[in-house]
Amino acid sequence: MSFSFKGLLSDRVPLEEGGGKERILPLPLTIAGIAIFFSIPVIFKVTGLSSAMYWLEVLNTVGLYAILALSLNVILGHAGMFNMGHAAFFAVGAYVTAILNLTYGWSILSTLPVAGLAAGLFAAIVAGPIIHLRGDYLLIVTIGIVEIIRISLTNNIFGVTGGPNGLMGIARPTIFGFKIARPQHFFYLIWIVVAITVTLFYWLENSRFGRALKFIKEDPVAAEGIGINTTRYKLMAFVVGAIWAGFAGTLYASRMRTISPGSFNFEESVLLFTIVILGGSGSQKGVLLGSFLIIGLPELFRGFQNSRLLVFGAALVIMMIFRPQGLLPPKPQRYKLPPPWDKMGQNGNSSQAKVSLSKKDD
Amino acid sequence: MDFFIQQLTNGLTVGGIYALIALGYTMVYGVMKLINFAHGELFTLGAYIGFTLLVTFNFTGLFGTVIGLGFSVILVSCLVAVAGHLLERVAYRPLRHSDRLAAVVSALGASIFLQNAIMLKWGAQRLAYKPNILPNVSVNIFGQPMPFIRILVFLVAVFVMFGLYIFINRTRTGMAIRAAAIDQGAAKLMGIDVSRVIALVFIIGPALGGLAGLMAGLLYGPINFNMGQIYGLKAFTAAIIGGIGNIQGAMVGGLLLGLLESMGAAYISVAWKDGITFMVLIVILVFRPTGLLPERVAEKL
Amino acid sequence: MRFTLFLAFTLALVGSITFFCTGAEAQDNPIKIGVMGPNTGSWASEGQDMLNVVVILADEINSAGGINGRKVEIVSADDGGDPKTAVLAAQQLYAEGVVAVVGTYGSNVTEATQDIYDEAGIVQVATGSTAIRLTEKGLTLFFRTCPRDDEQGRVLARYVKELGFKKVAVVHDNTSYSKGLADETRQLFADIGVTEVFYDAIIPGDRDFTATLTKIKAAEPDVIIFTGYYPEAALLLRQKKDMNWDVPMIGGDATNNLTLVQNAGEEAAAGYYFVSPPGPGDIKGEAAAKLLATYQQKHEVYPTSVWAILAGDAFGVIAEAIKNVGDNPEAIAQYLHNDLKDYNGLTGPISFNEKGDRIGEVYRLYQVDPTGAFVLK
Repeated sequence: MSFSFKGLLSDRVPLEEGGGKERILPLPLTIAGIAIFFSIPVIFKVTGLSSAMYWLEVLNTVGLYAILALSLNVILGHAGMFNMGHAAFFAVGAYVTAILNLTYGWSILSTLPVAGLAAGLFAAIVAGPIIHLRGDYLLIVTIGIVEIIRISLTNNIFGVTGGPNGLMGIARPTIFGFKIARPQHFFYLIWIVVAITVTLFYWLENSRFGRALKFIKEDPVAAEGIGINTTRYKLMAFVVGAIWAGFAGTLYASRMRTISPGSFNFEESVLLFTIVILGGSGSQKGVLLGSFLIIGLPELFRGFQNSRLLVFGAALVIMMIFRPQGLLPPKPQRYKLPPPWDKMGQNGNSSQAKVSLSKKDD
Repeated sequence: MDFFIQQLTNGLTVGGIYALIALGYTMVYGVMKLINFAHGELFTLGAYIGFTLLVTFNFTGLFGTVIGLGFSVILVSCLVAVAGHLLERVAYRPLRHSDRLAAVVSALGASIFLQNAIMLKWGAQRLAYKPNILPNVSVNIFGQPMPFIRILVFLVAVFVMFGLYIFINRTRTGMAIRAAAIDQGAAKLMGIDVSRVIALVFIIGPALGGLAGLMAGLLYGPINFNMGQIYGLKAFTAAIIGGIGNIQGAMVGGLLLGLLESMGAAYISVAWKDGITFMVLIVILVFRPTGLLPERVAEKL
Repeated sequence: MRFTLFLAFTLALVGSITFFCTGAEAQDNPIKIGVMGPNTGSWASEGQDMLNVVVILADEINSAGGINGRKVEIVSADDGGDPKTAVLAAQQLYAEGVVAVVGTYGSNVTEATQDIYDEAGIVQVATGSTAIRLTEKGLTLFFRTCPRDDEQGRVLARYVKELGFKKVAVVHDNTSYSKGLADETRQLFADIGVTEVFYDAIIPGDRDFTATLTKIKAAEPDVIIFTGYYPEAALLLRQKKDMNWDVPMIGGDATNNLTLVQNAGEEAAAGYYFVSPPGPGDIKGEAAAKLLATYQQKHEVYPTSVWAILAGDAFGVIAEAIKNVGDNPEAIAQYLHNDLKDYNGLTGPISFNEKGDRIGEVYRLYQVDPTGAFVLK
């Protein structure tokens, strides 16, 4: 009676043909869509649209939040940990970049890896003792962490954060001598990073690591039972998400050129949390759509003047009621089982037994 | 020593308000496992309705201090309870069988909606309860004058907590609430109307939040449309420290949080006060992952 | 099914907004002037007052035939009191084709938009942003009608000395403005022979300051210098009175808001000092009186703070410049730097120096009298 579960966690589990991975759009259309999206600045320029810069800034903001939300998605969507303090890691990244650039004269791009690592290290240190907390307790602790970060920055901790003024005069990034300064330059920088993020996290999601997280989220006890070190995997998810938020911090600092503690508060974390849940926790497409809606809607509602946030709040409620699982929730994934399991089929000959790891509504 | 006792009383008053709000969080959470992020806005709503009654309509002037105030307390509680009930019907009931996080986002949306609705209704300017609504009586405690309202806030919080405790533990309705908190499915099988229990919880919780808003208005004077944000966060922290879902826990958590703030300000640094509070929260949760009071199911709300 | 419904709903919403936004047809070639202010968020009342004042002044100009025959169109953008939202607001105004922008209130919010306006070639006249560094960057299109914090700090320290205080407690609220002003004032203490017995920051948005006040009281100061904003000042005054502690308190211009008295109650506010540019009621000008009368008629209340009036002044100087040199931003800036001399503004004569700062000592000492009025000392 010994059969191996190893296959379930190996990197070579084939996805079943035509399983949960079908695309909403056929591949050529997707590629065309991406191509059109990346030519938006050109289209704007050609058509001479007067509000081009405004919409590019909106798209840049969307992109930045998309990077942050995608990184939160690893923690919240894949590992199922209620992290409402993601802005803390974002802040660490932004401040590391700003300090290295302003005090030590590092170029922005050279600060990028350091910012990511610093955020990851910080996450590893703070997440260690709290990773075992149950959902809502973890939520309040992460809120506590982001507040402690904000208060420390405001009180000019170590004398390097500039206190409430924050830091200003951060340089623009330079790539091969080309200075990225205008909104259209940032558009490409930010959205290329978004594309890299999506690709990398897609790969991560379908790796051994990603599957382990999914298992932990579905049933931590069973996961532990078959020998997955749940604490280690959860901690890794936290660190990966934090590193990426640190990268986003670098982009943010060089785009805004001035950063202050007020930009990294609890509400910012709530916004990111909302993006992930609204879009569809665990689904990258959903998170991207969520970023567009959460950042874009208040902009579209500018016509409502003072009641724009009122309309936004109502829209959130309505969207959740209509799509409680998020707008584009992840599809259940089906895996073809490795041979040992096949032999265990009901009559000993079913070679098509399937295990469906779907998201439970709880 | 005088200094310490003063800071103690300062902390207990602040804590009393936190506790009143935390009771609302904890009751809703106990039954629905939902963090009602719009609870802070119900608190604000209570403060504003109280303002309309006590300042615009001058209830205490019309009916005398005691009756006018009593009327206001009842009206504020009832109206905020109605608002809370509507909130549940519109924003939470459709999501009862969905993912918990969907309800969290719906709650956040409702919170943004309510906050801005209050701003549009009463304006963005700060309004203030007049200082002379309650007679300006001070009681000497350890040689220090304590305004009567501060003592009142503390007493009301303790009184409400005891009342609620008895209600939950000694009445049939209370038993139904406890049953629903432990297992909604089983409660249904026992013939308990869980929908009604939830509706009831969403009446009591908001009523207490509204009451807290009125008390905060009387105590501090100025009110503004986003005051519920900070209070909501603090009270939620208090509920978690005490062990969310636990009525005594909310009380203990609220008072402890108030004391932490005043003692942190007094002996360490005012600017770091909130930072200290959150550090203590984290330390508490690291060592007691479900809050201070034991989360025994039978005693859990 | 639900998703289709949802999609339909979203499309309908987006569609109606697009319609709504494009509904207002442009008149023939009006001069567009932007107002960027915090219409939502914590400082919403300041932003809404700013906009109201500017709209009244613009209506006046338009009913008198416009500037050189061209109508003025006010374009409002909400910065939410937050730098990130402000970046988008600035791009929105740029897209609308404004030639100049009035605003905004908070220094860090203004700072986030300075580069955008400068690169876009739009004149920006800030109204409440007093942080020193804003005009130290060499931006030629940036001006402000409010004074700077270093001047305010000097005036504050001078009055602390003149009023005879020796032991002071300094309290700020850890915002950019408030800490800046506290630091500017503190560095002069040695010169004016004052000892600091307490220095700490309260947390804006808090309501209970009794713990802080108890701590300050133990340090036995002659005066509390509070450099924060009026909501917290009102709470400090009210709770100070509840403690039966009658130490005087002096503050900066962010407390020049009639809401202070209304929030604290006349009795608690009485005797409170603050330094500020003169309020609209203290200017003997006809213009200010007229504005206030119209404002009250239209909105039933007075604007509560001096910052909204300074927004009116910002609009005034822009309109004056356009009247004289047309609507080219470069020309407007040139005019404001060099040719505008003692323009008769709502808050007194206005001229700008080469940095874009307002010239002249504008700060005065005020005290709240027992009826709650702000009395010029």
